[in-house]
Amino acid sequence: MKSAFSPRLILRLLFQPNNVFKELAELKPSSIAVFFKVALWFGVLPPLFAYIGASKFGWRLGTVEPLSLQKEILLSISVAYFIALLFGFISTVIVSRWMATTYGARQSLGIHFAMITVVGAPLAVGSIVHLYPDVFINILVLIPALLWSMYLLYRGLPIVLHITPERGMLMSSSLIGYLLVAFVSLLGITVFLWINGIGPLMGV
Amino acid sequence: MSDPAKKLSVEIYSDRVVTTLVMFSVIWAVIGMLAGVYIAAEMVWPALNFDQSWLSFGRLRTFHTNVVIFGFGVSALMGTAYYSVQRTSHVRLYASNLAWFTCWAWQIAILAGGISLLMGLTTSKEYAELEWPFDIAITLVWVCFAIVFFGTIAKRRIKQIYISNWFYGGLIIVIAMLHIVNNLALPVTLTKSYSLYAGAQDAIVQWWYGHNAVGFLLTGGFLGMMYYFLPKQAERPIWSYKLSIVAFWAFTYSYIWAGPHHLHFNAIPEWVQNLGMVMSLVLLAPSWASMVNGIMTVSSAWEKLRSDPSLKFIVLALAFYGLATFEGPMLAIKSVNIISHFTEWTIGHVHSGALGWNAMITYGTFYFLVPRLVGGNLYSVKLANLHFWLALAGTILYIVALWGAGVSQGVLWLSLDDLGELRYSFNEVMAAMKPYYLLRLVAGILFFIGTLLMIYNFSKTIVGRRTIAVRPPIESLAVA
Repeated sequence: MKSAFSPRLILRLLFQPNNVFKELAELKPSSIAVFFKVALWFGVLPPLFAYIGASKFGWRLGTVEPLSLQKEILLSISVAYFIALLFGFISTVIVSRWMATTYGARQSLGIHFAMITVVGAPLAVGSIVHLYPDVFINILVLIPALLWSMYLLYRGLPIVLHITPERGMLMSSSLIGYLLVAFVSLLGITVFLWINGIGPLMGV
Repeated sequence: MSDPAKKLSVEIYSDRVVTTLVMFSVIWAVIGMLAGVYIAAEMVWPALNFDQSWLSFGRLRTFHTNVVIFGFGVSALMGTAYYSVQRTSHVRLYASNLAWFTCWAWQIAILAGGISLLMGLTTSKEYAELEWPFDIAITLVWVCFAIVFFGTIAKRRIKQIYISNWFYGGLIIVIAMLHIVNNLALPVTLTKSYSLYAGAQDAIVQWWYGHNAVGFLLTGGFLGMMYYFLPKQAERPIWSYKLSIVAFWAFTYSYIWAGPHHLHFNAIPEWVQNLGMVMSLVLLAPSWASMVNGIMTVSSAWEKLRSDPSLKFIVLALAFYGLATFEGPMLAIKSVNIISHFTEWTIGHVHSGALGWNAMITYGTFYFLVPRLVGGNLYSVKLANLHFWLALAGTILYIVALWGAGVSQGVLWLSLDDLGELRYSFNEVMAAMKPYYLLRLVAGILFFIGTLLMIYNFSKTIVGRRTIAVRPPIESLAVA
């Protein structure tokens, strides 16, 4: 467990992803350990960076004048962001484990916690770009992070969950489908909150 | 040998028309997507229209949508409908000469129609821009399509009408109804007509047409493709046949009401808007039923993925189908729509369906179909795999870029300053879009390169070969 989930994890995921997966394949991590030692802290990063960035500089949506929000509203948005990420993470783990029966993969909840944490790692680290809240710069950094996450998912899932690459391909694609839906839901919920007064001042 | 047996032994499926339609479909894909890439570039560098009216965004955009939907999409649907209806009915196409007529007449209509759009002739109804002579020609071809398709069903040797045929049949009937009703117009000259409807009625009829064209052509028609070709490639029956039937009828019933969500906050009755919203939400259930059916069918056939690049496209197509059919109802919710309407989010949503679902499922089907039609192997599986990753990367990049653009636009347009005035001018908002448009262009180029690889791969596969002759199975005589 330690060797796979040490602080060097990020560097190793960048340079030796296959080794990380091979180690994970041998492990039986406990869900609680993975969650509290690693996943939770990854989850805290994006809202924290977003809060700092937005309160210091205001969001730039590509126009000259940045969009500034009151501190209290910013705090509530950041907390909501954290809850959404947490919900997204845990629901993905549950969905992944649920899919495991269909694709004949390992069933232990802990290994799904570990796998999804690894997949989310590039995005969590990439979220450091929230410190400079310019939407375009964020997209520019987060798209490569997203592609790296997807690569880790397609590459790692069959190794870690002990299934053939072909079944891994199917399961990864199904998970991508779920994640796309989860993300667009987040977008929808956010917009819904804006319209209902939480967020920037809008003429609606 | 009895007479029917003799007849069957000489009867072969009309597959040459299928090969021709598939080839035209691929050619239209290249032309239509090239136009798409070009207008994406114009959004970044407007000077690319070189002050030529036919190269301007307004004309080229209409050309792009018509060529990809009606050239690429409908040719693919016609070809695959002709292919699958014969095999699910164990009988040669009814009136196969008429099928040849539909094939060529359709291509001529798209070519001439495309040129007319570049000349600036338009009814200005979105996705129904072609002027009245084309509308009549399209109706004629479509009726012939119906005669061939339903004629084949009528002389089938298998009692049951397989689910893919229900979806293709639904496509033919509903598109005929929509096309005729929406295009009723008073011709003034050969190139100009005025809609029979006025004002809000015109808008309601137009979006009843527009949304159901998305529904019964881009969703239902391609579901027909999925329901035949996915089980065929997976060599498994569909996971739940019952579910597919329930999904078909629920889909047909609920889709037809959803159009008014295109007109939220417009001058149409509020109850019509609300009804459109509620029925759009209901639509999620039957849409996802087909997705689950497809994914479960393929999940037990994983070993086929080793040798077959086409299944990958179909699996991913189902994932994007899941996204698009979820995002659609969500965008139909009024308090989401107020932000998303008139922004790039809508264009992103359309392309998650068009690139992710329609194009991918068609590519997957063609990679399966083309080698079988000519009785050879695909020229290069490696190129097909490369195409897969280019298509995936292009689609994801496209969607993410336009999510960013759309949400930014929505917020900027509606943002108020401390005095309650709009904070940003239209020009400022548009200037902020440039980087996203650049990303979208890159995404489009990636997707387009993939399509070029495919046409190269197919031309190498087909060259020097003819469509092989396939006979209906002899055992179907027992039913005949």
